[in-house]
Amino acid sequence: MTEQKPRDPGGLGGQSRRDFLRGSGVAAATAVLTGQAAGVLDEAQAAEESTKVLSGTVEITLKVNGQERSCEVEPRSTLLDTLRNRLDVTGPKRVCDRGSCGACSAIVDGELVYSCTTLAVSCQGKTIETLESFETGEGSVPHAFHQNDGLMCGYCTPGFVTACKAYLDKHPNATEEEIRKGIDGNICRCGTYVGVLAAAKAAAQAKKGA
Amino acid sequence: MAEWPASPSVIGKRIPRLDGLLKASGKAKYPSDVHPKGLLFGAMLYSPHAHAKVKSIDTKTAEKLPGVKAVLVIAGPGTTLRYHGDDIAAVAAETEEQARDAIRAIKIEYDVLPHVVTEAQSMAEGAPEVFKGGNVKKGRGQTKGKPEDAMASAAATIEATYTVPMITHVCLETHGLTVGLEGEKKATAWASTQNVYGIAGDLAQALELDRGDVTVYTEFMGGGFGSKFNADVWGTTAAKLSKMAGGRPVKMFLDREQEHCAAGNRPSATAHIKMGADREGKIVSVIAEGHSTGGVGNGTNMILPYVYRGVPHYSVGQANALTNRGGSRAMRAPNHPQSCILTEAAVDDLAEKLGMDPLEFRLKNLDPGSPMTPIYQAEIPIGAELIGWREKRKPRGKTGTGPIRTGLGMALHTWGGGGNPGKQVSCTIHPDGSVDIKTATQDIGTGARTILAMIAAEILGLQPTEINSLIGNSSYPPGQPSGGSTTTPTMAPPCYDAVTKARDALFKKVASAFNNARPEDLSLKQGQLWAGGEPVASWKEACRKLGTSPISVTGEFVDGLSSTGVGGCQFAEVSVDLETGEVKVKKIVAIQDSGLILDLLTWESQVYGGVIMGLNYGLFEEVVMDPTSGRMLNPDMEWYKLAGASDIPEIVVRAYSPPDEKGRQVIGVGEPPTISTAAAIGNAVSNAIGVRVTEWPMSPRNVLNALATASREGRA
Ligand code: FES
Ligand code: FES
Repeated sequence: MTEQKPRDPGGLGGQSRRDFLRGSGVAAATAVLTGQAAGVLDEAQAAEESTKVLSGTVEITLKVNGQERSCEVEPRSTLLDTLRNRLDVTGPKRVCDRGSCGACSAIVDGELVYSCTTLAVSCQGKTIETLESFETGEGSVPHAFHQNDGLMCGYCTPGFVTACKAYLDKHPNATEEEIRKGIDGNICRCGTYVGVLAAAKAAAQAKKGA
Repeated sequence: MAEWPASPSVIGKRIPRLDGLLKASGKAKYPSDVHPKGLLFGAMLYSPHAHAKVKSIDTKTAEKLPGVKAVLVIAGPGTTLRYHGDDIAAVAAETEEQARDAIRAIKIEYDVLPHVVTEAQSMAEGAPEVFKGGNVKKGRGQTKGKPEDAMASAAATIEATYTVPMITHVCLETHGLTVGLEGEKKATAWASTQNVYGIAGDLAQALELDRGDVTVYTEFMGGGFGSKFNADVWGTTAAKLSKMAGGRPVKMFLDREQEHCAAGNRPSATAHIKMGADREGKIVSVIAEGHSTGGVGNGTNMILPYVYRGVPHYSVGQANALTNRGGSRAMRAPNHPQSCILTEAAVDDLAEKLGMDPLEFRLKNLDPGSPMTPIYQAEIPIGAELIGWREKRKPRGKTGTGPIRTGLGMALHTWGGGGNPGKQVSCTIHPDGSVDIKTATQDIGTGARTILAMIAAEILGLQPTEINSLIGNSSYPPGQPSGGSTTTPTMAPPCYDAVTKARDALFKKVASAFNNARPEDLSLKQGQLWAGGEPVASWKEACRKLGTSPISVTGEFVDGLSSTGVGGCQFAEVSVDLETGEVKVKKIVAIQDSGLILDLLTWESQVYGGVIMGLNYGLFEEVVMDPTSGRMLNPDMEWYKLAGASDIPEIVVRAYSPPDEKGRQVIGVGEPPTISTAAAIGNAVSNAIGVRVTEWPMSPRNVLNALATASREGRA
């Protein structure tokens, strides 16, 4: 296990710029982490003390994959939890639940969003698309993922497919480098990136041919 | 002895996985997606402290909250909690929001105890004990020959301490399951597991039912990497909550923080290594003393020296330092990636000291007694060619003058894998021509489902898409837990056996209907039944002759189809920014042998995936424990770093597959390709910057620290 030990960067006097940068980089990293530690403890403390009920529900209607769907949510309910837990739309996955991995990607009014950090109540009146509504025939993004084996366990796959589709719709002439940047908000643990990129390129090509 | 067909029509081809489109269209239902009628949502309360005693726990308020159906205390008063993330209590409620509220409403008083979360803390004199009896457990030691004497006579020696951090599995689908009861005597679960057969037993035990009363489904699962073999506390807790709630199904999946803290890790490893070689470049002695931590679980069992087992003299000592942190679990090639890094770093440093090309040095030191040696000898030149070793590689540190330096590194690995007898596969040929293959194994992303269909299709002259490959159901014939690269080599032989026997039974039954042919005149290819060199009926017509009786056969393991033991080598090219310490991997070459390859497409995905997991280990990953608070500082996916698309270099994968390689049968490739990547990257970094970075990962912090230390000592 790694202990973040601050290093003595040596006397400032004879230090080169390089050494100074190295030393300060390490010190800064330590400061950030120590600050974080204090943060998490406070959080834990606060969590223990706050036993107040925050519940209270409201009925909303969401337009999901072309259908008007009504359900009861709480003001704090995320779009992701609403889709998954209340509407049985389980394509988008909950993985980090805080906007770091892209598994929960959905398209709201044409924009790619992390549905885990989007409140359901804020999506009323908007068009919500998840990958279940995508075309799957030849030339489609899901088809390209399948043919190029851009998936293994497949749990990140809905997010990658959604991000790819959203990106290619807006950037039909994207280069490989641009596609990489376009899907950099997604993480795969099985390491399927080679297949994912091949799939994205194939889908882009098919789109141009169509 | 059984044999694979000499000129196959399906095996060895690039077949897209059968369930690929379901996964890529979001329609595959994972255990965390299912929503059986009456579903309740579960949540876990876990320890915020690294070490504490539960003084009191009060669930009254929680129980009264709206929507709460069941509250279960796991750690009652007096229980010791041993790590951040340790299980305390659980709740089931109508909505997930309500379940989380209820968790927050449980009042609990702790006696916070002193903790140890780093190896240094654990091994310090008078350190608080994780368990009674001391923190430091001596591990397996080994001595061969006279290492001290041999070291004294060596022409060149190196001595250094190399360190590899603890990492976690980061399964994207967290650990957990959905489970419900019908009446007193029947339970159904959807579990994210690598062991669908075994989990049924765990749940049966928790519910005091017979194994057969519990059916577990694992149609899909979102990653395990060695950490998902048991129902675990949270799984059996969900079953108990369901029972308390009148059998209503409960969905219980860990949140990301508890997943990082409690659901397994690959233990750290640190070793102080002395290595000596003679003037010809033969390693004559290795003396290593190591320690590691796997939290409250086992540490690393270091295999030192790794691969180079022919070294005449060595001694290895190692200790496991218990810490207040969730316990280790098997993780993709347990013990090997750590052993590979520790050994290959020292080997590289010694080659450097001798002024030898580390590639030549490795070839010189291959173990003459190992069956892997000829494989390495063949693989290394192929990899060297593909990475451009001869043209591009410069001696360590002689890599130019600018702030951006490039370098090359390499490493070797080995793994067992292989098949074991005892598991079964059934094959049913129905009169309508449909074919069912059934076994209680699961596809954890490796392509196991597709492989079984390919074997059946090969034998029956059909396409894999024409086979129903039914797995992920505990009521099917007992199948292999997916661990240690054993699923395919264990399941392929009984699959082959079942389908072959079913085919022969079909021939026997229908032969007379085709011009009174004898069964031995019949064969199957291209979707047709052939008799004496002529197609006589389509597959469906042939099956129709079965009338109302399907053929159903259960196959057993047969010899001759799978074996064990592989070798591989990997090369990395990196560039390093001396000012920022940032490392970019430009290219990785992976040469892997694994016997007979069944599906080349999914085989390649496995190797790419292994390399990328190794790249994460080499560049980004580490569990950061706070010595002061005892908590994990990065139990998320932001500060726990994993590669994204822009971090992925050019990766060149080659199967080492000469004709006689196929004769080694099916071996399994899950673990091997992830072993040596991080070692190769570390060696490439050292080659680029002229200084050994002794601590993995090759993060800016570790690279800059190595440069700063070297410049302070006047070495750079
Ligand atoms: S689950 Fe939403 S970004 Fe990770
Ligand atoms: S395919 Fe398993 S996480 Fe991406």
